[in-house]
Amino acid sequence: MGWSKMSLPWRVESEMMVFASHKVASVRLHRLTQAMADTGLDHLVLFGNAWQNDYLRYAADFGILEGEGIALVGRDGSVTLYLDDRMEAERAGVECPDLCVKAVRDLVAEVGKALARIGNHKVAMAPRRHMPAGLAMVGSELGCGDATAVLDRLLMLKADEELEAIRRAAHLADAGYDVFCRAAVAGRADYELVAQTESFFRSAGVDDNFMLIGVGGPEVRGMTPPVGRVLAPGDMVTTELTPCVDGYYVQICRTLVVGDPSPVQQDAFDLFHRAMVAGIDAVAPGVTAADIARAENAVFRAAGLGDYVTSEYTRVRGHGLGLFPDTKPHILEDVETCIEAGMVLIVHPNTYHPAAGYIVLGDSMIVGPNAAEVLTTTPRRLFRGGTAEASS
Amino acid sequence: MRHGLIQWRDENLSQAEVQTRQDHICAALRAAGLDALLLYTNHIRSGAVTWACGFTPYWSDALWLLPIDARPLFVTALSKRLGNWIAATNPTSEIAHSPRPGELIGARLAALKARRVGVVELDRLPAGLMAEITNVTDAELIDATTVFAALRMQPDASETRLTARTDAIARQAFAAMPAHRVRVGDVTEALELSARLAGAEEIYVATAPDLASDARLARIKGGVPLGERFAVRLSVAFAGTWIRRTETFTRADTPAPDIYCARAWFADVCATAVAGPGLQEHLVSKPPPEGLRLDDWLLEAPCATRPLQIVAEHGMDPVMAHANATISVRLTGPCGPVILARPLIGPEGAG
Repeated sequence: MGWSKMSLPWRVESEMMVFASHKVASVRLHRLTQAMADTGLDHLVLFGNAWQNDYLRYAADFGILEGEGIALVGRDGSVTLYLDDRMEAERAGVECPDLCVKAVRDLVAEVGKALARIGNHKVAMAPRRHMPAGLAMVGSELGCGDATAVLDRLLMLKADEELEAIRRAAHLADAGYDVFCRAAVAGRADYELVAQTESFFRSAGVDDNFMLIGVGGPEVRGMTPPVGRVLAPGDMVTTELTPCVDGYYVQICRTLVVGDPSPVQQDAFDLFHRAMVAGIDAVAPGVTAADIARAENAVFRAAGLGDYVTSEYTRVRGHGLGLFPDTKPHILEDVETCIEAGMVLIVHPNTYHPAAGYIVLGDSMIVGPNAAEVLTTTPRRLFRGGTAEASS
Repeated sequence: MRHGLIQWRDENLSQAEVQTRQDHICAALRAAGLDALLLYTNHIRSGAVTWACGFTPYWSDALWLLPIDARPLFVTALSKRLGNWIAATNPTSEIAHSPRPGELIGARLAALKARRVGVVELDRLPAGLMAEITNVTDAELIDATTVFAALRMQPDASETRLTARTDAIARQAFAAMPAHRVRVGDVTEALELSARLAGAEEIYVATAPDLASDARLARIKGGVPLGERFAVRLSVAFAGTWIRRTETFTRADTPAPDIYCARAWFADVCATAVAGPGLQEHLVSKPPPEGLRLDDWLLEAPCATRPLQIVAEHGMDPVMAHANATISVRLTGPCGPVILARPLIGPEGAG
């Protein structure tokens, strides 16, 4: 039975999910207003777009797709969502019926006017870096502060209800990889695998998905969007899938070989497997992000591959997950962020291997009171994609 | 993010065509007394950079600088490991990587001794990037949205060709919808699969699953049942070009005279409309057939950083002519609402 034909009647399923989603949003807003009270803030100005939506979504629970938006949040829990696209505002009216939504042609001017009306209160903005320059200027003139750090901490340390939402989403990452793996057949183009995966995700209620792919051998240095490369026997196919359910992203990274893996590919994969396990074993409250990265990297160094854990070949050794698919903390040897219970991470020693090419392997986990609760359950093995002959 | 196929293909857009656009930009900059043009891009506001150099980011953001007498510079926060892919899909630009792209742009402006730099949607430039730039250069940043819009509104054969191709993907996707559809997921699954297999760079699907109760289009969960009459808006990107196509259907695909009537009227409107001043009058002069009432319309076109931006709507005529626009209408018929949208690419595209 496919995920598109889930066993619960649609109405029960949908109503349960909507109820759970609203409950999580309500918990987030309560935490946010509590943080505002703790820091003496009267109003928050939160920017968002489809790339950097976590700050806005934390308060407004709207998954913006086109244009840009600003959520103006009061300490009393009132939220006004300004959107610069009339069609997006219509969508917000359906998807977030309790929200006050305003469609505006000039986002900077309209929010600027609203800011001027509350200018004698204590107001802060987040994320300051992405705020439209015109609005940041108005904010500076009015003495608005920077609430980015306040939001970052809330985004990193999840409430129990958020962790439940993430657990609900995790099985779809596994199911998505199963679809991807079955689509990986010699003769198909990389974008066809993405098409099959995205089609499945839409049917299963996944709103968004961060997904990259790599196809080939030692010439492949990383993952990108699909470029039209056709799978051939012997190719390694890497992907990271990051389905988003009700705003929460869960990620899985796996590698497969089209046909039978060569001994070189299998040996390389085994090294990544050991590094991933070492990283996961290091996850516990009280360690730092750097400790986890060092545990992963030590496996590569012991194998004489220390060069390949540097920024020349890899970006991060894992990262946080939540309302953004690549949130803090980044798992790197120079990041001293303390790991705390309630964080959600992926540990992935993804990097280039000189003999086999780019390999990925990663699982998402909740940091529990003592250790990691791994969420994704797909076996940690080098998968095999079909050859054209086998599929026919 | 953009999930679909992103590749450089000369048959979609050639380097010569991109170079022509850049030449036009430089001429406009000289006429406006500007030393360079600065464009911001991310996958939501990709329109300007995609038109100017052909590149669309799948994630993160970037700045693209075109000095009037030097090669364009593209600076991204994406890591160096992606350099080969970026260079392959952005062949006319020099590529640089930095976690602080604004600093590299500022340094280049300083090195070029640029004094007046045009920026499209200056007040929307992310504040962090703005600070990085202004920390390292004294060049005056001037809003150049109007200068750029004047270029974007010119008809461009390659863009029109891509618009038609993108619309063909959308039409093919609608044709792939199953005749027997019960849930929203039956529709969205088929649309996603068809459009992405056809090479779409991205698609967004919005649905009004039961027009009898609510005509607003939204992202609806797959398990929600379809009503007797429903509408679907499909927004498709191919090679950086976006179109929208909205259709109204009956669940059982049974004949609905008012929908057919509305489609025929709209095809005629699209074939004869000009996306510029007078559009509102054109719609008034071509009222829908008896029994149908035009309640609302809007016009979208690429003119700044967004690939499609609302430039006119019910009660507000377009200020100037636009190329590669999409028009959306909402009508009320005897059996309920009819929602339609088409790119304005002539009779063929209006089908």
